[in-house]
Amino acid sequence: MNLIHVHLWLNHLPILGTLIALALFVVSLASDRDDLKQASLALFVMIALFSIPAYMSGNAAQNVLKDNPNYSMEAIQAHQGSALIAFLFIELTGAVSLMGLWRFSRTEKNPWMERPAKWHLLAVLVLAILTSGLMAVAGNTGGEINHAEIAVGPGPTSAIGDFGFRLANKVQHLVVDSSMWVWPILEDLHFIGLILIIGAFGALNVRVLGMMKRLPLAPLHRFIPWGIAGFFINIVTGMLFFMGMPGFYTPNVVFQIKMFTIMLAGLNLLLFHCTSAFRSLEHLGPGEDAPLYAKIVAASSLVLWIAAIVLGRYIPFGEVS
Amino acid sequence: MAVPIIFKTIEETGISTWIRDSPSIFAYWFILSFHAIGMGLLVGASVVIDLRLLGVAKDLPLSPLKGLYRIIWIGFWIQIVSGALLLIAYPTKALTNPDFYIKLTLIGFAVAIMHTIRKRVFTDSALNESEMMMKGKALAVWSLIIWTGAVTAGRLLAYTYNYLKYDYRG
Repeated sequence: MNLIHVHLWLNHLPILGTLIALALFVVSLASDRDDLKQASLALFVMIALFSIPAYMSGNAAQNVLKDNPNYSMEAIQAHQGSALIAFLFIELTGAVSLMGLWRFSRTEKNPWMERPAKWHLLAVLVLAILTSGLMAVAGNTGGEINHAEIAVGPGPTSAIGDFGFRLANKVQHLVVDSSMWVWPILEDLHFIGLILIIGAFGALNVRVLGMMKRLPLAPLHRFIPWGIAGFFINIVTGMLFFMGMPGFYTPNVVFQIKMFTIMLAGLNLLLFHCTSAFRSLEHLGPGEDAPLYAKIVAASSLVLWIAAIVLGRYIPFGEVS
Repeated sequence: MAVPIIFKTIEETGISTWIRDSPSIFAYWFILSFHAIGMGLLVGASVVIDLRLLGVAKDLPLSPLKGLYRIIWIGFWIQIVSGALLLIAYPTKALTNPDFYIKLTLIGFAVAIMHTIRKRVFTDSALNESEMMMKGKALAVWSLIIWTGAVTAGRLLAYTYNYLKYDYRG
């Protein structure tokens, strides 16, 4: 197995996943069922998360194909460009979904904030529909790389691909060539994001594990958005690093393992802290011990985030020369 | 300004050469990983205390948060040990860079502020929650500002050095 397999496997997830999540979301809105709304919002976030390696592994596939005269460079660039635009929209959809999902995890003390507002769900719906369309374009342009016979020639599709490809080049220029200070500033922000992640998730997790037992658990949950803000900063700055030097990161095994670790840490965060799953813990008062399953979740979260830090520091070690 | 010859002496010691040049995964990157984890514990725990003093998670009782000082001190000592090892590996690189002194000064201030918060806010058991927050607010703002500066100065060390080694201008 190589990274092309990873790309071919992962790339169906955002395309089909968005459609499936959208269908489920429409059903949940029509039937006004909170559990289904929650499930579809969580699906959007999950797809946004896994779109990161899907986009990144495309670079590996491109590297293999680019010297082969049987493949058209224009087709590959059109796919890269439209994939970037679809990627940006699924990330936006995921972010807005996460904010909606957050309401479901709020404590019972704020019943008026228990579920997301109508306009919020409407925003997710509009974004998800747009994303589905863009995913279809990304999928089609990807298919055309191997199947020139289905290519339809210039049209709105290639305009999206063209725009995305130029955007990718602009970002690369901004990150790597525009100023020697851009990279260090991004690194600084990446470390500040790390601190927010460790501080916010760490405080909650060590309490669950039994430290500072005099703290009730529910209010500690209010720090989670600060950790999510840190995670958000790090996804943005991390993607900028990747788009600046894709050739450095793509073949780097340490980087690949780091991405895998972050997917797991993100799932942990999403499923246990951003859904109503947390409500089963919110009654934990001062001095009370958390159940074993909560301790396992908390310990794995700590291990995964610390592993992400260590792997990040070892990325230069995994450089392929 | 001439670079003191003692930096060269340190760089030629076995431990300095090993940390810097060994291909072992337990050398340079291992210590650097600890330095990043220590930063996460030290600054992360400080930020949680600061945010609470500034009104985030108001329902959270303040006084048990004193327990976070244990994590702050664990992080602090990880930073002292790993930082000292990194300094032994690259004495010229760090000590000829003005940014390194800025970083150390800011860390000194930030740790002093955290210590003051502990003394004035957490140790006085006569205070109620709102009095604790009143007393801690300004200190918490300064703590956040100075920690941000310290982390930034630290991160920029990788990009602002004049010498990589005694005989090697960067």
